[in-house]
Amino acid sequence: MDNLELYKKAFIDTFMVEESDLPALKYQAIPAWDSVGHMGLMALLEEIFKVELDIDDIIEFSSYETGILILKKYNVVLG
Amino acid sequence: MEKSLDINAIIKHQRNRYPVLLIDKITHLVPENSAIGIKCFTYNEWFFPGHFDDEPNVPGFIQIESLVQTFIMTFLCKKEYCGLKTNFVSINNIKFKRKIVPGDVMEIRATLKSFKRGVAIGRSESFVDGEPACSADFIVAVPQILDQFKPKA
Repeated sequence: MDNLELYKKAFIDTFMVEESDLPALKYQAIPAWDSVGHMGLMALLEEIFKVELDIDDIIEFSSYETGILILKKYNVVLG
Repeated sequence: MEKSLDINAIIKHQRNRYPVLLIDKITHLVPENSAIGIKCFTYNEWFFPGHFDDEPNVPGFIQIESLVQTFIMTFLCKKEYCGLKTNFVSINNIKFKRKIVPGDVMEIRATLKSFKRGVAIGRSESFVDGEPACSADFIVAVPQILDQFKPKA
């Protein structure tokens, strides 16, 4: 799996959504993406990509699309 | 440094109260690492007459609650987390190995694997008369800490 596939899988596994749901997915747009779900996603992404996200980036990480830009700061290129 | 906590200290550190405060004592405590707790079961518990009237034994959900209440003491014992509310995120790998009846004393050994950004991961195992009784893996959240990491709307 390449990085983008891993990134998608993290969202799909954490929130039980379909891949087609991902591009529009935002924090609190679905019940599963609450504060607990958010921390679960952050922990999973950190584990998958071997990074440690700054608090500011965790707070900024409000959507699937925003996350792609944030992970670029950590040299994780998706797609 | 190992510590022990009596019921008054337990009440100070966690928010569960009668009839759902289900540990009586913490006998050993290594903050942010491990805890050993005790729960004594008397026939006077509210659940025995209903579970079951002809064969009283401790319901599974009570055992799990005792296990997790010992587990959360591993981090609620710290001054900065004292008195915070917690909630389950997941309970996995639950095993029940023996019946627990009035008169039994359950010893619970809890281990905290990690506690980061308001999410605690770990495990508890319980024993009666030295024999395994119940065990489970827990992920528990502290909402007040999680709120600090909420994304902007």
